[in-house]
Amino acid sequence: MTERLSRTALTSAFLRSFLIQGSWNYRTMLGGGFAFAMLPALRRIFTDSAAMDASLQRHLEHFNAHPYLCNVALGAAVKLESEGADAETVRRFKLAVRGPLGSLGDGLVWATWLPGVSLLALTLYWIGLPGWVAVIAFLFVYNVGHVGLRLWAFRVGLADGREVGGRLARADLGGWTSKLQVVASLLLGALVGAMLVGADGLAAAGPVWVALAAIACLAGLFVGHRAWRPAAVTVVVAVAGLSALGLFL
Amino acid sequence: MEIVLVSLLGGLLALDATSVGQFMTSRPLVAGALTGWAVGEPAAGVAVGAILELYLLVSYPTGGSRFPEGSTATVVAVAAAGTGSPGALALAVAAGLVWGQLAGASITYLRRANARLVPDPGQGPTSTRRLAAGHLGAVLLDFVRGVVVTFAGVLVVRPLVGGLVASWPVPPGATFGLLLVGGSVSVGILLRDFGGFRRHRTAFVVGLALALLGARLL
Repeated sequence: MTERLSRTALTSAFLRSFLIQGSWNYRTMLGGGFAFAMLPALRRIFTDSAAMDASLQRHLEHFNAHPYLCNVALGAAVKLESEGADAETVRRFKLAVRGPLGSLGDGLVWATWLPGVSLLALTLYWIGLPGWVAVIAFLFVYNVGHVGLRLWAFRVGLADGREVGGRLARADLGGWTSKLQVVASLLLGALVGAMLVGADGLAAAGPVWVALAAIACLAGLFVGHRAWRPAAVTVVVAVAGLSALGLFL
Repeated sequence: MEIVLVSLLGGLLALDATSVGQFMTSRPLVAGALTGWAVGEPAAGVAVGAILELYLLVSYPTGGSRFPEGSTATVVAVAAAGTGSPGALALAVAAGLVWGQLAGASITYLRRANARLVPDPGQGPTSTRRLAAGHLGAVLLDFVRGVVVTFAGVLVVRPLVGGLVASWPVPPGATFGLLLVGGSVSVGILLRDFGGFRRHRTAFVVGLALALLGARLL
């Protein structure tokens, strides 16, 4: 399938995918980064400079997806170009996959994997383990999933090309998200426990603070993300007010 | 000299948030630990980072969204926190929350500038050199933005925290209580994002029990 592509070109395209959001902008979003990642492969595929320029131009066009799962589209686009697919086919393929790759990735990585691993690290820290243990555990666990997902996505794209839809359905990323949510909920409970009884925890601060934390937690549970800013503003104003009070005492 | 080192670290960590890698060294917990190590206060660095991480648990680095920038905010907060006394911690965290919003606004300007740096496909064919220069130029611009935002933050926040910390009137227990109450909102939001308490209450309660047991054993 990708006979014209050397392992070096594919490795280079994969490594460049780590910079895919480097020029994120409101006009083409990931377009510049996508074209930049495609470059090593396009250089091998096209010997004719006019065809190369035309291909580069279509990959510069507006595109957006989750930066890790974007590698599915990247690998598939490399395969399509190497097979000589026409411009419209490549364009339509990218248009079709960008939405699903965005929503699947946002749900799996940003809304579950990242907070889940952060919860693990914070729990380790608040139950009294040294800070560096929490930091190393966070970086290791997160990046095993992160780099693994990028690599898997690129391979799936390269192997299946236009047929990635079936492969993504079989991979059941939505199902993985649901399973991870259970583990993340367990870790969330663990963090609450650690915040309660850990060193400098809420229990040591007193029952009033435990009650206030429960109210804040309920506000987040019922109001959702809209509760975040008022809570942060309240803390900032309280700290500023108490500081001002301290100056006059 | 330290401010230069810290600003360069802020620039590098800002890059990780969206432009390069996303290995999450830009998360407050990691950024706090690295900055703490850089300024010779590793324990204070992790403490500030952990509290800001709790607040920013629900802030995701999605490409198109506007979010508080945790990396530069944490670097600024840790640089200002000094030895990490409870008062300094509270002031540094509050300053970090404010600075995160300002830094987040600077990302909006960066993205507008990026549109001018990368070739516009509507303007016709472009060269590979022009594309590479535009893309890598945007990465460099993000680094410079991170350095400037961190430098300005340390210049403003460090003397402010230093000037107020001596008169901080709240005892340590209540100070930590105040900071954790604010962060508890993130716990509720996450519980909602994961599908709600009713759906995952067993897992939540098991986790709570394990942590209580673990804390007792440790």
